[in-house]
Amino acid sequence: MRIAVLLSAGRHRVSAHPAPVPVELQAIRLAAELGGEAFGLHAGPAIGPLHDTLGHGLPRLTHLRLAENDDPAPSLADALREGAFDLVLAGRSGQGGEDAGLLPYALARTLGLPIVADAVALAEGPQPGTLRVEQALPRGARRRLVIRLPALVTVHPAAPAPLPFAFAAARRGDVETRPGIAAACAPSEMEERPYRPRPKLIAKAAGGASAAERLKAATESASGGGKLLVEPTPDNAARAILAHLREIGVLA
Amino acid sequence: MSRSRKDPRTERATHRVEGSIRPRFDLAAAPAATGRPRRDRRAEERLALVPGTVRRRLDRTQRVAAVGALPAPTTPAVETPPRLRTIPEPACLVAVVPDAPGGRLTPHDRQLFGAARLLADANGGAVLALVESWSDELAIAGADRVLPIPASGYDPEAKALALLSVLDGLAVRHVLFPESADGGDLARRLAALSGEALFAGAESLSAKAVTRAAQGRRIEQRRAPPRLISLATDAVAPHAGTLHEALPVEFAFPEPTAGAILSAEYIPADPAKVSLAEADFVTSAGNGVTDFEVFRALVAALGATPGASRMVCDAGLMPRAAQVGASGTVLEARCYFALGIAGAPQHLQGVARCEHVVAVNTDLHAAMIERAGLAIVADAQEVMPALLRLIAEEKRG
Ligand SMILES: Cc1cc2nc3c(=O)[nH]c(=O)nc-3n(C[C@H](O)[C@H](O)[C@H](O)COP(=O)(O)OP(=O)(O)OC[C@H]3O[C@@H](n4cnc5c(N)ncnc54)[C@H](O)[C@@H]3O)c2cc1C
Repeated sequence: MRIAVLLSAGRHRVSAHPAPVPVELQAIRLAAELGGEAFGLHAGPAIGPLHDTLGHGLPRLTHLRLAENDDPAPSLADALREGAFDLVLAGRSGQGGEDAGLLPYALARTLGLPIVADAVALAEGPQPGTLRVEQALPRGARRRLVIRLPALVTVHPAAPAPLPFAFAAARRGDVETRPGIAAACAPSEMEERPYRPRPKLIAKAAGGASAAERLKAATESASGGGKLLVEPTPDNAARAILAHLREIGVLA
Repeated sequence: MSRSRKDPRTERATHRVEGSIRPRFDLAAAPAATGRPRRDRRAEERLALVPGTVRRRLDRTQRVAAVGALPAPTTPAVETPPRLRTIPEPACLVAVVPDAPGGRLTPHDRQLFGAARLLADANGGAVLALVESWSDELAIAGADRVLPIPASGYDPEAKALALLSVLDGLAVRHVLFPESADGGDLARRLAALSGEALFAGAESLSAKAVTRAAQGRRIEQRRAPPRLISLATDAVAPHAGTLHEALPVEFAFPEPTAGAILSAEYIPADPAKVSLAEADFVTSAGNGVTDFEVFRALVAALGATPGASRMVCDAGLMPRAAQVGASGTVLEARCYFALGIAGAPQHLQGVARCEHVVAVNTDLHAAMIERAGLAIVADAQEVMPALLRLIAEEKRG
């Protein structure tokens, strides 16, 4: 199976230094454990810290050289079409760029591939040419899908941790550099400014509430005015608890 | 310093009780009107006195606690029902695509409707809910129109195609998605299909501008609301106040074609293995629990994820990973069941986002009891086996 892993120029979450995106390193691990040939693919001005991905279990990496501020989508689409990959893996969203997670969807659309989001585990499907994908859902639930290949799959941060870095593997891996397709980004209507964390909505606390009121809103029952049972017999207490848990739907 | 001087003689004279030969003064009665407002601490204390407790207890917050058997008789419904607001001829539509797992709106979905109302009201439009089935929750949430979209099993691509036909066929000005696992996926599919720009993960929204974080939360991007927006949680308040019609709308959807997904199977989370941060229902032990064998059996029987307070983790009775609170895990759970936990502020911070709390504690005045939706003042050591017995009985018969 030929697997392409899309790698983006990320930035470290805390230090903002150029660094590989963790979820893409996790994608490399999924590719390595699935077996088959894995290829890294990066389109951008420089390869920089993406060299490290070779140490995390990726044998080879293709770098499509672009000018600063070029759109990577056409170059990637072209390379993916040419490579005739069975499976394309990408991170859920980048870290350090637009971070919208739109590129895999746009690529899948141009290549006519089906796309499945948020994989945490991959395995061979029941028939040849199929893939079993385990998809992460909120609250620890999972969805197991069988999809037809070729396909594009994005990886969720709940996937297994990346393989540990091995220096020798990073030295051994080869990087091929070739020019990409120059394509200017569509002009954006976005206005940019330094990030300012916005206050999250706190239920019930009004805008000008005092600190004590905000603490109360943060720690008090959201449903308000609860039931109180004082010294019931243990059996009555148990019955009340079970009835309440059933009512809110956490107990079958 | 223009305060008038106090005249003790006239003040005292106002308290004089008439009709007796000897001068009598009732100093506790009617606060003397001297022009200067004074606090009457006695009257305040009388108001703050919590009735029905043996120990004298004052509630300075003025919320008289309902101490009794079952909930205090709630005031009969004097609340006026919310006003119905109709929008007969909307200038445009603002579509909302809630997740609504199992047909019930999540809090995030309600916030989405709040955002849609904001955009619709600014443009004289109506809110269109694109859901799998009609439910009466939608009218309260703020939907003017409801369009059921055909769905069979898990096929997001087919759903995105159906949405695309709505986008082309109706005068939809904005489409709002929740930035959740399924909602975010659907939003990006629609963006790729339609070629429209998606404003992913909006963190604030008004009729004039939306903002989002980019470049690893270093840059804030801002623009006028585009056609496709996905909204982060807790960014906009849910709609409240008026009731809306939730009129069903007719629309001819194109025939769906078979997708690449051959089978899909939902696997519910295994509560024993899932991490606390992801858990849906957490049962937690505090210093008031001594029998941990029974506690563990109860957690398994309830199908909950085990948690603990710091006292218990410090004592080594539960692993550190199970600690709930400021220095442990902040829960996202729907329900929190606290056994023998006092409810220290550091602990309550970890529970702040839980919708429902159930507490068992021997102390009526514990903060956990006040926080709980169902509070039980009883010995946890007796309630736990009773719960186990009851669950076993129900299983058998
Ligand atoms: C910097 C800092 C960070 C902290 N972070 C955390 C944190 O992240 N998480 C955390 O939990 N704590 C944290 N703490 C500790 C916190 O302040 C409390 O000490 C701790 O939460 C108390 O735990 P508890 O409620 O189990 O114990 P206690 O305070 O001892 O309360 C026991 C409760 O059980 C009740 N009880 C006793 N016997 C029974 C019985 N038989 N049946 C039923 N109820 C009974 C008692 O009435 C009492 O209310 C932190 C403290 C500091 C200083």
